[in-house]
Amino acid sequence: MEKEIDIFENVLEYISRDVRRILKAIPEDVKGRVEEIRLRNGSPLNIYLDGKDFFITKASKMSRLSHEAYIVDGEDINNSFQLITNHSVYAFSEDIRKGYITIRGGHRVGIGGKVVYNKEGIEFINTISSLNIRIARQKKGVSNHLLPYLIDKVMNPYNTLIISPPQCGKTTLLRDIVRNLSNGKSTVRGFKISLIDERSELAGVYNGIPQLDVGIRTDVLDGCLKADGIMMVIRAMSPDIIAVDEIGGAEDIRAIYEALRAGIKLIATIHGKDLEDIRYRLNLSRIIEERIFQRYIILDRSQGVGTIREILEGDKFTNIYRGKRSLDGSY
Amino acid sequence: MAAIKIIINTFILIVSSILGFAFGNLYSKRAKSLLDLQYCIRVLESEIINGSFPLPQALENVSIKGKGGMSRIFKRIKEDLISEKREDIYESFLLQKDLLKDRFALKDEDIEVFLYLGKVLGKSSRRDQEENFKFIKSQLENLHLEAEAERMKNTKLYRTLGFLIGLGLVIILI
Repeated sequence: MEKEIDIFENVLEYISRDVRRILKAIPEDVKGRVEEIRLRNGSPLNIYLDGKDFFITKASKMSRLSHEAYIVDGEDINNSFQLITNHSVYAFSEDIRKGYITIRGGHRVGIGGKVVYNKEGIEFINTISSLNIRIARQKKGVSNHLLPYLIDKVMNPYNTLIISPPQCGKTTLLRDIVRNLSNGKSTVRGFKISLIDERSELAGVYNGIPQLDVGIRTDVLDGCLKADGIMMVIRAMSPDIIAVDEIGGAEDIRAIYEALRAGIKLIATIHGKDLEDIRYRLNLSRIIEERIFQRYIILDRSQGVGTIREILEGDKFTNIYRGKRSLDGSY
Repeated sequence: MAAIKIIINTFILIVSSILGFAFGNLYSKRAKSLLDLQYCIRVLESEIINGSFPLPQALENVSIKGKGGMSRIFKRIKEDLISEKREDIYESFLLQKDLLKDRFALKDEDIEVFLYLGKVLGKSSRRDQEENFKFIKSQLENLHLEAEAERMKNTKLYRTLGFLIGLGLVIILI
């Protein structure tokens, strides 16, 4: 818990002085559970934890009533933005165009404001009006008990697809599977993994260094489009496994076929409620019908974030998972 | 007695000439400081626009690659920015105001341009920063031309004046 609080306190270093002072004084047990801090110009200071949002008063109390909350102003936003960009907005032009900045620790800051277009598309976001700081919390070991389901008898990994609605822990689970398969664990050897981290969420690369543990045999392509990244690593990195977050586009599926042709295994995630939810989607039906994925891990929040509802084998789609377990270890 | 008089007169002449030189040098110092500042700002622009270095690193690089004592100002700004965890770099720029006036003989209008840099530095897109640098460089260029003209005029004037006042005093004393 102490480490979780430290993570929160480190994030506060990127927030303007007044808001930082307020957030620093919220209850200790809350600090370790905060998932998002939201600053919106002219709106109440807002945090998100345990699937609920709370307003924070000037006296650092949590409230469900917006009128009691501290109201964030433009100066709070601008000063926080200066700290987040290390006083170097120009150096983050690419990230700002994508709508977020990754800060030390792998935390992601979403940006809202006036979007300026040029002939090539989005040029910049000016007049920043809101910041959403998503606190990255890696949960090491959450995939330990899943490894036997993901490795075949001759110790090769299965092509695996993690299906989950938003905020159910699919990125956390994917990161931990990558870490385990990269490092190796007991009888499982370590695999060379190429991680295509399009949104800088998996490895949280900051200044070229992954801030989150993705294993010792993992190469990260940070901020790279999935389809481009898959093709690049096939040619250049000779991975055993390619790991990607949130597949779904036609280009992604084409690139996945290329990887499979090259004999590379794949671990991916996708937004969805269950297999039925995704199997008739335009780009996915073929890949499911062709039995490309040999394992489907389905997550929900029924018993906490990242509850593993079932693991389907990819041939007859039958559940092979015994019991339910959430990413925080509770059953 | 005559020897003492010669010594006193010589002393007066030397002191007044030195004072004339000192006043004259103030003008040449301003011109030199503005020239050094222009050089430092060109280095800073290159570090930001071409190198895309984060601002603290860019400021550090200017302190290494910049010219004269002026380059140390950028190091001071960087150190203040980091050690005081400033939210706005303008505060770090403001702190240099007295130093620029006292040690670098800059005038208020020169310092105003320097502070404008502090207001805009690092706060916008690369293209916008480029435009800001262009504006600041042109302002400094104009101020430098003005300082050069003042230097040409006043340096000679004060030096000559110093010597002549000394000479006048000597004549009166004789």
